[in-house]
Amino acid sequence: MSTITADAHAHAHVEHAHAGSFLSTYVFSRDHKIIGIQFLFSTLLWFFVGGLLALGVRWQLAYPWSEMPVLGKLLFAEQGGQIAPETYTMLFTMHATVMIFLVIIPILAGAFGNFLIPLMIGAEDMAFPTLNMLSYWFMWPAFIAFGASFFVDSGPGAGWTSYPPLALTMTPQVLWLIGLTCVGVASMMGSVNYLTTIIQMRAPGMTMFRLPMTIWAMFITAILQAFALPVLTAAGFMQLADLTLGTGFFIPEGWSANNTPHFAGGGQPLLWQHLFWFYSHPAVYIMILPAMGMVSDMISTFARKPLFGYKPMVYSIAGIAGLGFIVWGHHMFVSGMNPVLGMTFMVATMFIALPSAIKVFNWLGTIWGAKIQFTTPMLFALSFVSMFIIGGLSGIFMAATPVDIFIHDTYFIVAHFHYVLFAGTAMAVFGAIYFWFPKMFGRMMNDSWGKLHFFLTFMFLNGVFYPMHILGMVGFPRRLADPYHYETFRHLLPLNQFITWCAILMVASQIIFIVNFFYSIFFGPTAGRNPWHANTLEWQAPSPPGHGNFDFQPVIYRGPYEYGSPEVDTDYYPQTQPPPQQGTPYSPSGH
Amino acid sequence: MILTGRIPRLVHFNLFVDSVMVEFRNYSVVQSFCRRLVAALAAAGLVGCGQSDPPAFRLDMPKVVANGIAPQHQRAIANILGAMFGTPDNPFALPETGLDQRKLATAAGPVWSDAEGGKHGLYRRHCAHCHGISGDGLGPTAAILNPYPRDYRSGVFKFKSTYTAGQPTDDDLRRILHDGIPSTAMPSFALLPPDEIAALIEYVKYLSMRGQMETALVNYVFDEGFEPEVPLDPAADPELKDIIMNDLMAGVMEGWGAAGEQVILPEDSAIPPDDRTPEQIAESAAKGRELFYGATKGNCVKCHGPTGLGDGQQDDYDNWNKANVQFIDDTKSLVGEVQDLKQNLSNLAGEEREAAELELKQKSQELADRRKLIAHMLTPRNAIPRNLRDGSYRGGRRPLDIFWRVSAGIAGTPMPASGPASEGAQGTLTQEEIWQIVDYVHSLPFERVNQPQRRPVNVETVN
Amino acid sequence: MKHFWALVFLMVPVFGVLTFVVAPYFNHWFPKDISEHGRVIDQLFMFILWLTGIIFIATEGALFYFAWKYDARANPEPVKFSHGSHTLEVVWTILPAVTLLFIAIYQMNAWADAKMRKPNIPVTAEITGRQFNWDVRYPGHDGELHTPDDIVRVDGDIHFPSGEEVLLIIKSADVLHSFFLPNLRMKQDVVPGMEQYMWFKARETGRFDIVCAELCGWGHYKMKGRATFQPRREFNAWLDEKLTEQQTRTIAATAE
Repeated sequence: MSTITADAHAHAHVEHAHAGSFLSTYVFSRDHKIIGIQFLFSTLLWFFVGGLLALGVRWQLAYPWSEMPVLGKLLFAEQGGQIAPETYTMLFTMHATVMIFLVIIPILAGAFGNFLIPLMIGAEDMAFPTLNMLSYWFMWPAFIAFGASFFVDSGPGAGWTSYPPLALTMTPQVLWLIGLTCVGVASMMGSVNYLTTIIQMRAPGMTMFRLPMTIWAMFITAILQAFALPVLTAAGFMQLADLTLGTGFFIPEGWSANNTPHFAGGGQPLLWQHLFWFYSHPAVYIMILPAMGMVSDMISTFARKPLFGYKPMVYSIAGIAGLGFIVWGHHMFVSGMNPVLGMTFMVATMFIALPSAIKVFNWLGTIWGAKIQFTTPMLFALSFVSMFIIGGLSGIFMAATPVDIFIHDTYFIVAHFHYVLFAGTAMAVFGAIYFWFPKMFGRMMNDSWGKLHFFLTFMFLNGVFYPMHILGMVGFPRRLADPYHYETFRHLLPLNQFITWCAILMVASQIIFIVNFFYSIFFGPTAGRNPWHANTLEWQAPSPPGHGNFDFQPVIYRGPYEYGSPEVDTDYYPQTQPPPQQGTPYSPSGH
Repeated sequence: MILTGRIPRLVHFNLFVDSVMVEFRNYSVVQSFCRRLVAALAAAGLVGCGQSDPPAFRLDMPKVVANGIAPQHQRAIANILGAMFGTPDNPFALPETGLDQRKLATAAGPVWSDAEGGKHGLYRRHCAHCHGISGDGLGPTAAILNPYPRDYRSGVFKFKSTYTAGQPTDDDLRRILHDGIPSTAMPSFALLPPDEIAALIEYVKYLSMRGQMETALVNYVFDEGFEPEVPLDPAADPELKDIIMNDLMAGVMEGWGAAGEQVILPEDSAIPPDDRTPEQIAESAAKGRELFYGATKGNCVKCHGPTGLGDGQQDDYDNWNKANVQFIDDTKSLVGEVQDLKQNLSNLAGEEREAAELELKQKSQELADRRKLIAHMLTPRNAIPRNLRDGSYRGGRRPLDIFWRVSAGIAGTPMPASGPASEGAQGTLTQEEIWQIVDYVHSLPFERVNQPQRRPVNVETVN
Repeated sequence: MKHFWALVFLMVPVFGVLTFVVAPYFNHWFPKDISEHGRVIDQLFMFILWLTGIIFIATEGALFYFAWKYDARANPEPVKFSHGSHTLEVVWTILPAVTLLFIAIYQMNAWADAKMRKPNIPVTAEITGRQFNWDVRYPGHDGELHTPDDIVRVDGDIHFPSGEEVLLIIKSADVLHSFFLPNLRMKQDVVPGMEQYMWFKARETGRFDIVCAELCGWGHYKMKGRATFQPRREFNAWLDEKLTEQQTRTIAATAE
């Protein structure tokens, strides 16, 4: 009986959702799920662009000044296809910019945050649906500004950190800063919304300590954004004023470059670095915490076992976030900052490794004594743990200030943050796409192709990023268009060619994912409500959920990770299922 | 701090707006945006298919258009140059040029290393992105540099030891490659092995000769006023071949061959001794100072400014920018001519009208050509006199270098020669006086100014 | 292959360790250290490498072992229904905390030596980074910078005396640069408007690379310098030679 009513209810919701025009339903939608999927598609598109930019960088490092495929032919046919050095600086600048501001941050908070938060806490939608829509549409000025900046001069070339005074010598930096500000505004709208929704709109019985880790991570990420972003936005406006209005926040007295004097002065270039990293270090955690949350959910689900140490996990996320505000100086150990500050930042940085270690141990504790199902999302989640260990441990090297003197701005750093951001976050995102795909589109992705995609990506990403540690040990610096000018690095060319070919193959392997993704949207086998037999709330809603999400009023009885509970016969125990002694168990449709 | 005496203003914003407006006026941003977008979309499907065409030497199009060289003749000139000098990938030098073919081959072509680690394609690895494949100073990086990279094709070099009109010696070019040009984007290449430097010098001379030859050919065709139908084929026309090889070529080569004899030799009697006391140096510098401010002789103050900060006359151009300014001005007057022609057209009839229509068509075509060229031209910039208190000397800091600079001026720029124009001629200053100016110039960075430049703020270091 | 995925995860520690074992044999290791203090930095690096290496093997090994043993297809045991262990949490909080604190304190001295304890000696040279070259200014005979007898070189070939402490002022003429001497394990960003000190002591003589390690524009990669370390006597002779060269007034003097 209940099944029929529930379905009819869902149907009514779907009808309601389709009542508006195409534009208001799919384009200017205020439904958090549509907005999440809009974020997902936009960011995946930019992910592709960012990957190609990286291949350009890699090509130059493997075959310096030889004819670059596509790009060289397109822009520099008269030069024999070899790119210009300022194009190389544009390539790595825009690779980082696109990947950080247009892919990782929006895909975590924008795509998954939007899609999952109301579903996982049992809300109908976000607290402020219009604001939510605006947070997506404020990404578009950023897309346009960043996209247009490619075509001004030779594109932005001051690195993703846009350090003045170099940045002040470049016109495209104006568009770059406008883009950055719009991303900031969009994130800000999102974070306000997430905080309010999580605090105010939880379903009955959903106490804070019954929230899934994903939601905890999104919650703390939103706090980080709310407190750190205003600083970056202000700093961005200051640099914009230096560029266009002739102020001198970041310009020392009597400064000139490229034989062009700048009349304002009295500023300090290091001020930008402080302001920038005051945001961007917490941003590093904005880029990893939600991934950690999602990985915790996936690991517990497929280990069929409760998450080991739920509360320590929550506290360690909070610890990372708190410490994250007082470690920004570790990006500036050799910047000319007072060395005493370097020492204090070093101690704080050492301690931020602690909560990360606790999380790793707890994930290992979770799969200890489990019954692991090696599904595609589980493989990605486990690889996250495996790769995060490397990324976390390599961080200790650069936290050690004397060692950082040597490895700062070398490929050791590049290896470190790619292990965290690509091998960590991006792999978690892939896993999350495979995991929540049935909920988003109502169909399953192909598991065998998914596993092949995982295997190739995993192999090649290690081929790309692991040898970079070795490059860094030789002192191989970042951002050089032709490092082989230096005798010290001349013998590293073959290793760089190996890395480049791994990178090309890694990008090529993503074709499997793209095909699988689009094929499954239309032709994948239909998924029920709960294809993974998971506990969390979103799996009790229809797949895909209609407008308003739930076809019943969810009531929460327990935490999200009661897998293998002796209380029930099944190895999972949904959060909405009343305990057996409290009358008839509620059975949502789809089983 | 106001260093140059200009009014502080919203520099960057103005530059930004100006550049955007200029670009939009020529539709080049829109054009290039659309072109790149279309090309990117098209190329996305053609990843890595085939090699692109080997790069070719470009003709100096503004010069060609300004001289009204017909397209047939443009091709003929390119063919003659190709036969004489080869291509960027396969350069060769006629024996008359005196260039070393082996060195040219090392410097030219795409970048690669042979099995023994020998480097090839040196010019494209180190130079081409600024100075351009053709040596025209129009590489992709050129537009963002200030000053712009040198265009070798005129054969005029700024920093050299020879008389104003002379060509530089190999040593002069080697000195520039060794030290770079401080306070410009030209870095030092001192760390390249001597044989690579020698190869690059050879190639720069090669590009320069090729460019001078091109100019000579363009001027010849213009002077002779050939009809477009007249073929210019030296293979079929022995007379033309003779003119090219014996008249034009010889004229170009003469300067390069005689470079060694053109060096300005300081007279032993005029050279100040090395063991002067500080008082003697100060005395000499004081005399130099008088010349610096002298109204008739010297008169350095006119451009370098009363404080030597380079804030005197700043609105002149060097030859390279002047040519562009001239081209733009001519184009502007052409716009007027075309408008006049259009207005007059209605007053005319019969044959007169036909002739006017033909003229209008030709002029409109030229105008369109010129506009296209201006869109890709480096925006002309003024030649800014050196700030002599800065302590950086573009052509070298040795007294001898500065002596040469004052004596021969800086070829191609508003900096005039104060010494003789050729051996035995009379200059405005004697060598003694030039040496006094050298002493004054050397003392300038240490001379007190009424607006002292503030030293960098010391950072607190912890002891 | 029942345990295929577990073996995939086993490849991480195996190849991870192997890479670091093999790399030195291909000379893919630290560049030669010629400084007094560089040994400390290398030792610290190696200490952290061993420490993290052990943790790396232990954690990745545990991941492999659990993936092998607790594979749902191979493990007949029911899952251990556990929400965690308070004791374990305390243990694995305190152990890393102590280790990290140890590393933090252990390295403070090396940091202070490298960046905080400026030696009280005359400045050997002033080095200016500009787009795109390293210029150097030696004080000349009067021992003072910015006087007419300074020796200024703009060719990026910078000489230093070896076997003694060297104190440099480093600064920038335009944008940020970073003065990086890989063979001395020394690096310091130069910031326009700031003068900074750098000091080191070379044990050996020879010619080594100077690298710019902070993005300074399109020509960042061109900003190559060469540091030549030579005994004091040769260094002084070189300085004299360059001073003479800088005062050249005759053509004869240029012929070498």
